[in-house]
Amino acid sequence: MMANSAWWALALSEAVNNEKPLAVVCNGEELVLFRDRQGQAFALEDRCPHRRVPLSLGCVVESGIQCGYHGWTFDGASGACTAIPNLHANERVPARYAARAYPVAERNGFVHVWLGEHEPNESVSAATYEPEGREYTGAATVSILHEEYLAAMLDGPHSLISFDAVKMTDFFLGDPCLKDNHLVLDRGAVWSTRMLPPQFVVDYPLIVRTAVPVSGGDIRVDLLTEEETPLCTVFIASGANRRGTTSLCWRGFLHRSEGGVASLRWRVARRAQRPPFRVHSHVDGEALAALLVAPSRDLDRLRDQSLIPVRAAV
Amino acid sequence: MHTVSTTDTVAGQRSKRPSDWTPVNYDLHDTWFPVSHSRDVSSRPIRRIIHSQPYFLWRENGIPQAAEFHPSRLTALRHVSSAFTGGSGSYPVIERYGYIWAWYGNPDNADIQLLPHIPFLPLDGNIPDYTQRTVRFDASSALSVENLIDLTHADFLHANTIGDGISESDVVEVEWTSETVTRTRMVTQKSVAPVMRWVGGVRARYQDFRAVLHIHLRSNVCISYPRFRPGYDVPNLQPFLPVGRHRSRCDVTFNTTAAPSPFRYLMPRINYIIQPQDNSVVRPQNQRYLDESDRRDLHSRFDAPGTRYRYQMEQLAKRQRRGDFSYGADAEPGRDITTLLGMDG
Repeated sequence: MMANSAWWALALSEAVNNEKPLAVVCNGEELVLFRDRQGQAFALEDRCPHRRVPLSLGCVVESGIQCGYHGWTFDGASGACTAIPNLHANERVPARYAARAYPVAERNGFVHVWLGEHEPNESVSAATYEPEGREYTGAATVSILHEEYLAAMLDGPHSLISFDAVKMTDFFLGDPCLKDNHLVLDRGAVWSTRMLPPQFVVDYPLIVRTAVPVSGGDIRVDLLTEEETPLCTVFIASGANRRGTTSLCWRGFLHRSEGGVASLRWRVARRAQRPPFRVHSHVDGEALAALLVAPSRDLDRLRDQSLIPVRAAV
Repeated sequence: MHTVSTTDTVAGQRSKRPSDWTPVNYDLHDTWFPVSHSRDVSSRPIRRIIHSQPYFLWRENGIPQAAEFHPSRLTALRHVSSAFTGGSGSYPVIERYGYIWAWYGNPDNADIQLLPHIPFLPLDGNIPDYTQRTVRFDASSALSVENLIDLTHADFLHANTIGDGISESDVVEVEWTSETVTRTRMVTQKSVAPVMRWVGGVRARYQDFRAVLHIHLRSNVCISYPRFRPGYDVPNLQPFLPVGRHRSRCDVTFNTTAAPSPFRYLMPRINYIIQPQDNSVVRPQNQRYLDESDRRDLHSRFDAPGTRYRYQMEQLAKRQRRGDFSYGADAEPGRDITTLLGMDG
């Protein structure tokens, strides 16, 4: 399995705490996430170097994370083994005993982990996500290959995400263009209450803009008016999980100004606090198989060029 | 002007490499595109797209404007404008035949003489609204044009509206210049199309049909003159605007003003039935032309105009790849095509 050296957003901030360790899988790496009492997040390999039991089955303690099998304890920042229970006072833990530790960066509600070679030197993927006001969040694992999830997000995002009271078309407005490590593609959309079939609308009142990463897993979907005023933004952090599935966690928000263009159905639903979007936790296999491979061909080409091999942990 | 009839063999075609035909990639410069119906452009800007290049359209005191940025951002962004506007941010623009035409290419080469002649549309665009519709093709512009070049598809895909393949004789001819391809199809004793019978009031069982399609290669503006006897002429303009490699937009005009009611109102709306039928085949077709393939497309005698279109497009694309954007000496896009279309016949 191949992966990129990149920051990967692996969990929502609220999913990582100092009570129950969180197991995550990304591109063949199995990790455990947890916090210390001060709220600092850490990431270690989810594997005790003693007898290989997942550290996520253990518990968070003052000095780090403690394996649930024999109690070996590991520091969150360095991964160094700080305690082996039942040793005598004059017995020391060998200095080289450690679990692998990963660099962690938390930003805008996502916990990022650096996976790959070299020192992390880029800004985190969620740096561009700047929510205003109330957010809608979630997480899921979908039974589709990560590469296919990214491709479907370009070829037919309606199979992966919906906006309330909006019907997405598949009329691409131009071709995908490369911007800041993402392939960005616009498509027309209409309010779902519209009577005339969307392909005969003179100019689409809405745009759905999908930005899919060339490397990494951060996806951004924006619902805009035809003047490109943003209505709703969703940031979906994705990554390859086991057996050809894809992990997702997302945050999204409504922009403050609707510009007075929203349909009545949209405005009523927002006042009732109903979520403006839904990231699908199940993908319809038949619909996916029928989805034509079109703009995602550009993505395949670019992602192939940027891949470097790393060892697989599973 | 070169001509060939379908009675010729297509032996000469075998030497061409089918891998040369890449309809999704043709991005031909220095041409006028009818980027919008006049009626869709007002003081409120709209955005149209040609080959992924944005065209913002609006009117100032009734005069059409076209720019690569929204007018509210034009001053601020002018310094990053592209070669398509020569650094000014604004495209050359002309209003004629009920359309806003904008130049795509080097603005210094914009020339009103290069605007196509459309003899059946009024110069001032004064034509009723019912003649104009917007349709979208889920394919590249060139594949959408191929759909129109070979009308035999209508006998199958649109049998319930336009008619079946039964006729006494069916001859297809093609002529061309370096910038245009013209297809003429003559069918005798064809079953009258359902739409002509039930809506158009043609009571005969059979009719003769002569359809001329004149294509401007750079812009894929298709000027069509079908004549039905007994029946009517249904002149139409179908400009296949290339939005990108996967999608085209067509702001059509069917000049049915001389036809009886209700045919004149319903014929332009026939797209609501026809369009989904066309899209059902061109959608999966388009993405297959994105793959490299050494499998040659097969042709029948009805494909002579289509293969000539492919060849001329590729010749034009080759010249432009070499940096030559000029119009050939044999080409006069603005010349009178009344006789060519058979309008005076």
